[in-house]
Amino acid sequence: MPPLPHVLVAEDNALVADAMRLLFEETGHRVTTTGSIADTVAAAADDQVDLLLLDLGLSDGDGLAVLSELANRDALPRVTVALTGRDEEEVSNRCLAAGCRAVMLKPVPVGELLRKSKEWLETQ
Amino acid sequence: MNRADASVPASLTQPSSDSRVLALEAQLKQALQHIADLEARDALKTQFLANISHDLRTPLTAVITHAEILRDGILGPLSDRQLDSISGIISGGRQLLDQVGEILTYARGAANQLTITRTTFDFADVMAQLSALNESLVSKKGLTLVTDVQRGLAPLHADREKVFHIVGNLLGNAIDFTPQGGQVWVRAFSIQRDGIDELVVEVGDTGIGISSEHHDLVFREFAQVDSSASRQHHGTGLGLTIARKLVELHGGRIWLESELGEGSRFYFTIPYSLP
Repeated sequence: MPPLPHVLVAEDNALVADAMRLLFEETGHRVTTTGSIADTVAAAADDQVDLLLLDLGLSDGDGLAVLSELANRDALPRVTVALTGRDEEEVSNRCLAAGCRAVMLKPVPVGELLRKSKEWLETQ
Repeated sequence: MNRADASVPASLTQPSSDSRVLALEAQLKQALQHIADLEARDALKTQFLANISHDLRTPLTAVITHAEILRDGILGPLSDRQLDSISGIISGGRQLLDQVGEILTYARGAANQLTITRTTFDFADVMAQLSALNESLVSKKGLTLVTDVQRGLAPLHADREKVFHIVGNLLGNAIDFTPQGGQVWVRAFSIQRDGIDELVVEVGDTGIGISSEHHDLVFREFAQVDSSASRQHHGTGLGLTIARKLVELHGGRIWLESELGEGSRFYFTIPYSLP
């Protein structure tokens, strides 16, 4: 049996992180949750991440800083998707420029999030 | 004139012109300071609205995500009645999310933080998307939605998302304020005004209408014309204020034609060439 895909949810709000953990664990993923840049970098460097769902506002700063830190350690996730509460072109462009595969506005409908996650994990 | 007035020179009883100027200057300074204080407080209020709107989205995200996990059967099958109930939670949550989004947009507009990102697109595509989005609501209310976009309309060079927002708000109001069996329509055509080509969009309805004395009021923030209407039609009262702001950001105009009991027709323009 192949190993379960590893999803890292970087989200500083515990209620949202718990909801995402439930969603992905119940649909055949292994899930880690973190709430800060430091914890996210440590978790991803320690255990290869297949899909990073990255909130932009982490407790210790801009979530996109995670990607440059992980690039320096050669530990980038296979796919990173930014989840943001701000529906703004400037935010979206910044995420794509930093290496995110996609930018999604929270709350992403769970059906759409699961469908897209499947596509990303299959085409990585 | 009495005796006393005649015996005292005017220069002794009235302030000199110099002292009047000084007094006026002091009053002006005080008034300017007062205006600056009010503007600072207004900016604080706007910032508070923006912050609180953003913070409200986060717990709503958790509520909606959990409810969708249940609705989609990820934790096991639900009965029809359970499904209806969960769907109600999701609809309410998404409605609240939209309203929070409107407050955030309003706050950014009030703080002049909204910017236009122009792309080239067909208005007909925006309309098709909005029709599809409102289809179930229109049919649930027993209304007819007619769209009439002039053939061969030139593509717009504007902020697509904001144009979508403007029409969405106007159409949402039209649907909301039109009783069962009524008609709602959107027409789009181009005109030339003062040598500039403009897109004109009309959003009309056969609803309750607005008396002419209230035409200016409806574009003011938090305004709903009569309190009995606001009890029936729950919204932030910001939809038209936001629509006006977004139209003005494009250099366009917005107005309405309506009479009480005779439906409403809202119009806005988007210039084809940049202002």
